[in-house]
Amino acid sequence: MRLFLLCPGRGSYGKAQLGTYQGPSAVLDQLDAFRAQLGRPTLREMDAAERHGARLHVAGENASILTFGATAYDIEALDPDKAQVVAVGGNSMGWYSALYAAGALELSEAARLIETMGQYQAKNVIGGQVLYPTVDSDWRPDAQLCAAVDAALDSEDVYLSIQLGGTAVLAGSREATRSLLASLPKLERGKRSYPVQLPLHSAFHTPLMSGTAERAREELADLALSGPRVPLVDGRGAVFHPWASPQEIFGWTLGAQVDHTYDFSATVQAGVGQFAPDAIVLPGPGDTLGASVAQALIEIGWRGLRDKADFAEAQKADTPLVISMARAEQRALVV
Amino acid sequence: MAVNRASVVDQNFLDAVGAMPIPALRHDLDSPVRPGAALTARETLDLFHSMVSSRILDFEARALKAKGQSFYTIGGSGHECNAAVAHATRHTDPAFLHYRSGGFFQHRASQVPGESPLFDVLLGMVGSADEPIAGGRHKVFGSLSLNIPPQTSTIASHLPKAMGAAFAIDRAKRLGVASLVPNDSITICTFGDASSNHSTATGAINAAVWGAWQNVPIPVLFVCEDNGMGISVNTPSGWVNAAYGHRPGLKYVNGDGLDIVDAVRAAREAADWVREHRKPAFLHLSLVRLLGHAGSDVEQLYQTLGQIEAKEARDPVLATARLLIENGWRSPAQVLSMYEDLRVRVHALGQEAVSRPKITTAEEVIEPLAPMDPEAIHAEAMRQGDPAAREAFWGPRLPEADRPRHLAMQLNRALGDALVKHPEMLIFGEDVAKKGGVYHVTANLAQKASVGRVFNTLLDEQSILGTALGAGQMGLLPVPEIQYLAYLHNAVDQLRGEAASLQYFSQRQFKNPMVMRMASYAYQKGFGGHFHNDNSVTSLRDIPGLVLASPSNGADAVAMLKTCIAAAKVDGAVVAFLEPIALYMTKDLHEDGDGLWTSTYDPQAEALPMGTAKTYGSGTDLTIISWANGLWMSLRVAERLRAQGVDARVVDLRWLAPMPEQDFLREAMATGKVLVVDETRKTGGVSEAIFTSLIEGGFKGEMRRVTGWDTFIPLGAAANLVLVQEEDIEKAALALHASDTAPVSTEKEG
Repeated sequence: MRLFLLCPGRGSYGKAQLGTYQGPSAVLDQLDAFRAQLGRPTLREMDAAERHGARLHVAGENASILTFGATAYDIEALDPDKAQVVAVGGNSMGWYSALYAAGALELSEAARLIETMGQYQAKNVIGGQVLYPTVDSDWRPDAQLCAAVDAALDSEDVYLSIQLGGTAVLAGSREATRSLLASLPKLERGKRSYPVQLPLHSAFHTPLMSGTAERAREELADLALSGPRVPLVDGRGAVFHPWASPQEIFGWTLGAQVDHTYDFSATVQAGVGQFAPDAIVLPGPGDTLGASVAQALIEIGWRGLRDKADFAEAQKADTPLVISMARAEQRALVV
Repeated sequence: MAVNRASVVDQNFLDAVGAMPIPALRHDLDSPVRPGAALTARETLDLFHSMVSSRILDFEARALKAKGQSFYTIGGSGHECNAAVAHATRHTDPAFLHYRSGGFFQHRASQVPGESPLFDVLLGMVGSADEPIAGGRHKVFGSLSLNIPPQTSTIASHLPKAMGAAFAIDRAKRLGVASLVPNDSITICTFGDASSNHSTATGAINAAVWGAWQNVPIPVLFVCEDNGMGISVNTPSGWVNAAYGHRPGLKYVNGDGLDIVDAVRAAREAADWVREHRKPAFLHLSLVRLLGHAGSDVEQLYQTLGQIEAKEARDPVLATARLLIENGWRSPAQVLSMYEDLRVRVHALGQEAVSRPKITTAEEVIEPLAPMDPEAIHAEAMRQGDPAAREAFWGPRLPEADRPRHLAMQLNRALGDALVKHPEMLIFGEDVAKKGGVYHVTANLAQKASVGRVFNTLLDEQSILGTALGAGQMGLLPVPEIQYLAYLHNAVDQLRGEAASLQYFSQRQFKNPMVMRMASYAYQKGFGGHFHNDNSVTSLRDIPGLVLASPSNGADAVAMLKTCIAAAKVDGAVVAFLEPIALYMTKDLHEDGDGLWTSTYDPQAEALPMGTAKTYGSGTDLTIISWANGLWMSLRVAERLRAQGVDARVVDLRWLAPMPEQDFLREAMATGKVLVVDETRKTGGVSEAIFTSLIEGGFKGEMRRVTGWDTFIPLGAAANLVLVQEEDIEKAALALHASDTAPVSTEKEG
């Protein structure tokens, strides 16, 4: 099966994941040793915790490596006879995982990158991120919601952080975030209310992070990047082929990737539009990314998808369009 | 049975690469791809990926065609090194591509994030409504984000606009107005060796060097992809070089289009030269055509197998693979893996494309030709120019203070005010500047407007319209003049095939607004003969979406020109504005000195909506329908009829497209008798459309017409023998009045 692998972003590891990653894994062994050496909680320790807690699981200095470890654990589990990964992408921090998944970074270098970027967040949350939907409850584009987002983007210091399928992740300074929460029309969608702020998240992918990007470029200047083994689709929808320049990958990874909009929808759309995979696979705690992937596909009518119901139907096929490795029956298709 | 050459070329590649020795692999990809090359290995790998993409798409087009799922198999096999031109230019450089520029298209798309060029091309091949540029209306290379305007390119009719767009980039910069691309952009135009003989190609290249000769910046890169054949006919050996290698003002660069290193070398040399010098260059890439002209073309009918195989042995995709392998950048297995991977991807994308919706209704087909936004047009038309700028332009005595004047003078003022209102507007044509046009309609505008806004062109109507097309596409507002209606026929495809089709083939993503003014029709009191008195507008009337305006007097002309310019601005309308020469200077209607054909200039006059007629009088005996010269004559005749007890009303169509059908049907119903006074020809003339419209509209009264004869217009008084005369109108009107077919039901049925 030809697969487009999409790595989830930070914050994907939730209550449901607790205890998932306790099996034997050379990848986790290495990452745990790395964390232990730094005197920080290991991934297995965090995964074995009784309760999901803000400090242990959500704060950037832990959440990033935890999300990465869980992702890498699943990538390790892929059965090459069942799963041929033809392209790799990610959402936000998932880009770093994608670099590893595509072979542009060895595990240790990926861990160093992610740990470094994660530690920048320790007690240093800059601004905030706010989620707001741009699709209706059937996942079709909603003109009114889009207009509300456009209006919000006209305000001072408000940026589009991530286009996450049918969700706009808006970001800005603390003040701008507060103002977003107050000014965006209130909306109930299922169990969630919008606008909603992501806890302990900085205003990633905005100019507020330019200093962070600059620091990272200096401190990680020796990051051992190489051309990927399989093509990488970045957060603009650009493709890095195996012969791509490591300097270019570095430049984007610690440049515009950090302080410009991350267009995850473009990642999904360019990925399917260029590689025509049989399915999209979400490793690690990526299950929550499924809706965003589906919404990005609905937007371009991929496989005839027009709305949520079409997607639900497509998921009933023997090979679902989106394979979430967090779901046992779908996981079985690729491990 | 002919052998499928696609399979042969495909297998040749697999066999040849498979047999290549495994090199010692190198990883310093930023090194020259081969000793002495400026191109790096990494760049070559990018180019190779684009080239293979284009090749595999050609194969898939044929595979889909064999299953009845594709409708287009003209490909770029053998031409893939045109990717070098994309490599040597920027994605913001407007590129007017012909149908073999698949390598270029794939490569440019690879330079812009978020593109899916394989899928987009496949959607075009299968005619899907989801295809992002033409929406299933044609298979064209086109993309807004890639700055590739779509066109069919089969007759080199895209060269004039490429020249025009290049001119417009620098002219906008000089005028300090925004164009749609960066200031230092160049335009690129690709075409074949056989197409270089089209008059559009020779004309466009001539216009570019005519400009260069006098240091007018026209940064256009003409790219001749010379495969030595035009369908089945060989291009004479050495012809392209002989024709274009030594033109004054034209930089000529020759490149080997079968060697990607040399193709890039030549493309860079030519493109950089154009960008730096802002002058045209001719890039001559010698290459081969593989797989025949198209899928349906059996090349074996006109080429020997030996000739075909000799071309196939020069396959540029295979040559590039060899370059990469022999120099240690890729193993044969890696090359074959990329090739096969693309085959799998393209096939899978092809299946997705086949599943996508097609256009299913006529309404969908014509949707990009849909009516314009009358409210927005009216609002724009009524927007006034800056009063201070007006005063600076006209001087202290504003034109509205002048006494009543004739049509030519009012047009002059309307054009002047439009120049004031739209800093991006250009007026150009033959003799329009210092001389002010043959009929002085543009008199003094060049002097009043800033330098470069009102200018003379060379005597080539294709290039005049190409300039308008290109300028419109670059965001300017061109108002070209065609000196006489008869001259348009030299260039009418620039309207028919290009200007009017752009919104259709791009689903309104690209626009080429223009208001083309033409001194039109006959009745010049014996002057000029046919070519100055042409009375046929037939070639314009069936162009989908084209607006045809034809005022008869100054006041209407001012109000209509406002609407036309606003429509061009707001909706990208392409307008032909037909001005009756014989009425330019006419002041009187019924008798000398009555001044009834003059008007006072009113800059705030209400703009006239498109497709609205004007009715003179309320006579109940008969309805005369006419426009332009016919209208003027009809009003005179109506006066004489009144003296004879016949009360006629006279309808001025004013717009030949969209035609004011409801208006003239209403006026026809009001009297039950219609006389159409048609100064164009009997066959194909406007009256045919009026009669048809009346009948279809339910008019059951009596209809007659007087028309011009089916002839060319002779010199001197003989012209009057074949043109509608007032006596003809009067005679026909009286006969119609006297006819006893009444009572007639004039009510529409149902």
